[in-house]
Amino acid sequence: MQKRLLNTALLTLLAAMAMPAQAVDLTWSGFGTFGYARSDQSFNYQRFIDNGGTVKRDTVVGAQVDARFSQEWSATVQAKAAPSDHSDSQWQASVAWAFLSWRPNDDWLIRAGKIRLPLMLNTENSDVGATYDMARLPLEVYSIAPTTDVVGVSISKTWLGDSFDLVAEAYTGETSTYWRYYGRDRTIDNANSPGSWFLPIDMKSSGLVLTARSLENTFRVGYHEGEASRPGEKTGAGFEYLNPPGLYRLLPGGVDKLRVPILTLGASVMLPADFRLTSEYAKAKIESASRGLSRWGAYVALMKRMGAWTPYVYYAKTKSTDGALGLYQQINANAGAVPAPLRSSQTLMADLTSPYDQSTVALGTSFWVTSKSVIKAELSQVRTGIASSFVDAPAGSDSGNRHINIFSLSYSFSF
Amino acid sequence: MKPWLPLLLLLLLGQAGAAGDDVVVIGNSGLPKTDKITLQRLYTGRIVSIGQQTVMPVNLPAGSPVRDDFLQMVMDQNEEQYTGYWLVRRYVGKGSPPKELGSVDEVVKHVIATPGAVGYVPVSKVPPGTNVIYRR
Repeated sequence: MQKRLLNTALLTLLAAMAMPAQAVDLTWSGFGTFGYARSDQSFNYQRFIDNGGTVKRDTVVGAQVDARFSQEWSATVQAKAAPSDHSDSQWQASVAWAFLSWRPNDDWLIRAGKIRLPLMLNTENSDVGATYDMARLPLEVYSIAPTTDVVGVSISKTWLGDSFDLVAEAYTGETSTYWRYYGRDRTIDNANSPGSWFLPIDMKSSGLVLTARSLENTFRVGYHEGEASRPGEKTGAGFEYLNPPGLYRLLPGGVDKLRVPILTLGASVMLPADFRLTSEYAKAKIESASRGLSRWGAYVALMKRMGAWTPYVYYAKTKSTDGALGLYQQINANAGAVPAPLRSSQTLMADLTSPYDQSTVALGTSFWVTSKSVIKAELSQVRTGIASSFVDAPAGSDSGNRHINIFSLSYSFSF
Repeated sequence: MKPWLPLLLLLLLGQAGAAGDDVVVIGNSGLPKTDKITLQRLYTGRIVSIGQQTVMPVNLPAGSPVRDDFLQMVMDQNEEQYTGYWLVRRYVGKGSPPKELGSVDEVVKHVIATPGAVGYVPVSKVPPGTNVIYRR
């Protein structure tokens, strides 16, 4: 897939160079975030955050080149370096965007290549910390879609209004991505030690998003239809309980592809006295063995601009379906009932259900050094309910009923 | 006469001159007159044409007093708001801000010579016969 992405970037540039010969207006820009986060727990949260502190959760650097050939034609390539999306120990350089844009008139914009999807309000600019005030976008909501990028086509139509512009954007495309799993006692391949592994997934995704936007307010609703498959393998098989010997195990078989419908809603409105209220909601349904991936997430954030400072507070929550959490509880309880040598096989089955049940309260502030650079600090507390797959639970325990306090400090810039 | 009085007078006259030197928007010949709302949309990348004609706006660099006046007079924004707007727009993949030219003279030359070009300059710098498409 990396080769395909590289080809996409090269094709974008080659197509751009094949445009009618005119003066090309090239604009370079760069962005980055150096972020530090530390919790009061010894286990990892969000892959990297523990009481030892980490820079891996939020740090990213990138560069973007926009080539404008005319008012109608342009091309954009963005590359970034960040912790790998398929390894917890490596960093990864990747082409985040590579697309050709055609804007034949005021109303229509057509983009082809590697594009980021208009899922949540800040999905498209999520890598660029200097474009929003929160130290970290609420993961409860921003992690729900299995992928945020596709290689494909996006078509948008704009209706200009007196107070709001209405934009309808339809897209379709495909990509290869990874779903991360963590086994607290063992992994799928190694029965002797806990750890993470990354399941390669091919995703096809199409969607329609409506956005109403003024300079100060934004409203968005979107429906996205995904299709997930494992390269060369079937997926989606559930669990069966074998008695004797009283063990849950993965059912063999499954289907070639899984349907992944996702609903997204978002609003960000300016209130009197420079307060801003932002709230987003997303719901996904994935009928895989990892039933917990079927979940909803929402947050509400209130912030106030006071000169260079923007203090904020938010509350976020995500929860898998009751059926998924119930299944996790059954299997997890069974882990305690079987003989010790068999226990890890059952905690592995429980972890494979990917349960999510947690909330976060965060209090933070951004301080805008310039209009393109910002320092952010945040204190947050995460509380897990039945379980949360954002937590790498300690061996012999689980991720339920945890309180995690996190301090985050970051510097984001763009030039 | 106090020795510093002429200097003060000169400074005050200079200030009065700058304040009275309104910014106007000029376009390549043939572009129609336009209004503030259209210019706001054009300089925020929400439209690419005026009256069915494709246009390409140009900016002066950030920090230019003429740009500050334009942002205040036409865009109802300050530099921070305008830069912040384009920062987001660029990084959601919806385009890049108008090309920047280094001086008022460059803007005048570019607009006169380039079909579809639009720029803003102080009224005192507008050469005779230039197509002024918006003035306050």
